[in-house]
Amino acid sequence: MAIIEVIDLKKNYRMGGSEVPVLKGLSFSVAEGEFVSIMGPSGSGKSTLMNIIGCLDRPSSGKYLLDGLDTGKMSDTARAHVRNLKIGFVFQSFNLLPKMSALKNVVLPQMYAGHRKDYRHGKECLQSVGLAHRIGHTPMQLSGGEQQRVAIARSLINEPPIIFGDEPTGNLDTSTGAEIMEIFTRLNREGKTVIIVTHEPEIARYTHRILRFRDGLLESDEPVV
Amino acid sequence: MGILDAIQTGLAELFSHKLRSMLTMLGVIFGVAAVIAMVSIGEGARQEMLQQIKSMGIDIVQVRRVMITGELMETAQKKSPYGLKYSDAEGISSVCTYARRIVPVREIFADIKRGDKPLPVQVVGTTPDYSSILKLQLQSGRFLNEGDLKERSCVCVLGSNARKQLFGFEDPTGRTVKVGMRLLRVVGVLEYKEKSESRAFSSLRDVNSDIYMPLSIAMTDYMIQSQQQMPMTYRGVRDLFMKMITRTSLDKSPISEIIVQLKDESATEATAEVIRSILNRAHRDVPDFEIVVPSLLLRQSQQAQRIFNIVMAAIAGISLLVGGIGIMNIMLATVSQRTREIGVRRCIGATRWDIVRQFMLEAMVITCLGGLIGVLLGVVGARVISVFAGWITVVSVRAIILSFGVSALVGIVFGLYPATRAAMVDPIDALRQG
Repeated sequence: MAIIEVIDLKKNYRMGGSEVPVLKGLSFSVAEGEFVSIMGPSGSGKSTLMNIIGCLDRPSSGKYLLDGLDTGKMSDTARAHVRNLKIGFVFQSFNLLPKMSALKNVVLPQMYAGHRKDYRHGKECLQSVGLAHRIGHTPMQLSGGEQQRVAIARSLINEPPIIFGDEPTGNLDTSTGAEIMEIFTRLNREGKTVIIVTHEPEIARYTHRILRFRDGLLESDEPVV
Repeated sequence: MGILDAIQTGLAELFSHKLRSMLTMLGVIFGVAAVIAMVSIGEGARQEMLQQIKSMGIDIVQVRRVMITGELMETAQKKSPYGLKYSDAEGISSVCTYARRIVPVREIFADIKRGDKPLPVQVVGTTPDYSSILKLQLQSGRFLNEGDLKERSCVCVLGSNARKQLFGFEDPTGRTVKVGMRLLRVVGVLEYKEKSESRAFSSLRDVNSDIYMPLSIAMTDYMIQSQQQMPMTYRGVRDLFMKMITRTSLDKSPISEIIVQLKDESATEATAEVIRSILNRAHRDVPDFEIVVPSLLLRQSQQAQRIFNIVMAAIAGISLLVGGIGIMNIMLATVSQRTREIGVRRCIGATRWDIVRQFMLEAMVITCLGGLIGVLLGVVGARVISVFAGWITVVSVRAIILSFGVSALVGIVFGLYPATRAAMVDPIDALRQG
């Protein structure tokens, strides 16, 4: 069953007086449990696509169904709930809150899920990414790789079916990047649908399927051999 | 996001910028402290005044002698040469038959000395009812009685300070005090009366420093205590001399004060008008007396209090407004500084409402904490004022609750705009930044 289904998706941006098309009609779907990478040069529209499938932005036309729900028709609040419960975000620049400890950063999405903070579950998540010993440290006291692990733990706390990685290894050295990709691979094996945006072929090689974009159109869609 | 979480976040944010938070709170702190301190002073003054008026009795009407000076003096000398006099008291008692007590008072001129040292005491001639009107308590002996008055007994009753001045700690009963040409036998001593109570409203006499003697002797054998200047004209001097050597009949004898106590306190103002018309006729419209109605003063003071309260509220409003604007300014700066944080929070599932609530609560944490510190500062300030200035201050719980509530409200009002600005932050732009 397709957990993500994109049908003739278009997105225009208003630049000055004219409309600039960024996404020019995309159609593809991602099944539950897939491990997909999205590639393309800058300006190909992959960030825009990422924002739309991450429910941060709306398409200008076309449809995007997430778990069978048409996100284009959702209210701002409903989309916030989707981001909170269905999607785990991992960013290139980690995006942890600098004043909070690793553990507090991890349990933050729980506060917006409407239930009490569960620190034990937060510790479990940190343990699963190999950071059980640094729960009290603030992001400033952690290395890049460790920060990204905290970010992954945070994305897991509400147990969403989908994990988005937006250039998750972009700020890391090769070996640390490899470690992070190992974690994503494991998560995929445990049943999560994982989508990674990247422009590095070595990173894309960890995944099972590569979607290439160019000039707002899907250029190729092929499995990794 | 639970409210407790949001408050916790707000507090953490506050403590991570201690100096900035402190400066932000300053407006609210001073506003609230000023309100608390001023309300305490106002409340203290009000209660003191109420107590004075009430101790004077709201069921009385007081008629006092007024010295005529300047241009009016000539006509006054002709039309009403004696000013307030004993016959006025009789005139009042013949018309105001419903009055409970009518007490004439004559403050007399007499130097009281202990050895060679003149003492700051006041000799007062009056009738036995005086003690019941002023609710004087006896420490020992008795007050003046009707017999003293009729028989012109040479007796006196001492206020507690007067006793201390004259006899130190010795027992004065049965001993004598030299007042002018006469020796008066002490028959009683009064209990000490608290200053604020003893001082009749707006008249500065202190009951504790008084020596009381029968009015009958005071009127015949002593001069009235008078602040009147020596008349500078030939006729003035002649009249004064004539007055001194001719023994005026008793009812023309000048007195200082007439106190009329009524059975019904609601009749005081009407009675005051009756007395005014009686005296105006008797004095041929010379304004050489004044009428004081404590119940009227009470009402006027309540009116004044209302005005004071309005002014206070305006001052408080302005200072809290200024404080609130300062808070809004800082909150707006905070929002733009924390755009990225807002973006992250929105991205991981915070709704706009979550963001609004967080920033509103942060603003409220600032103002409530500021309000709390302000309340403490105000209470301490009121204490300090009452210790150093000697004023009575009363910290009212109502003022504390009100100003605390208002500071919370300031947080809501001035936090609302920055919070909505925060909620309008686009998470995509916010994350792209920095």
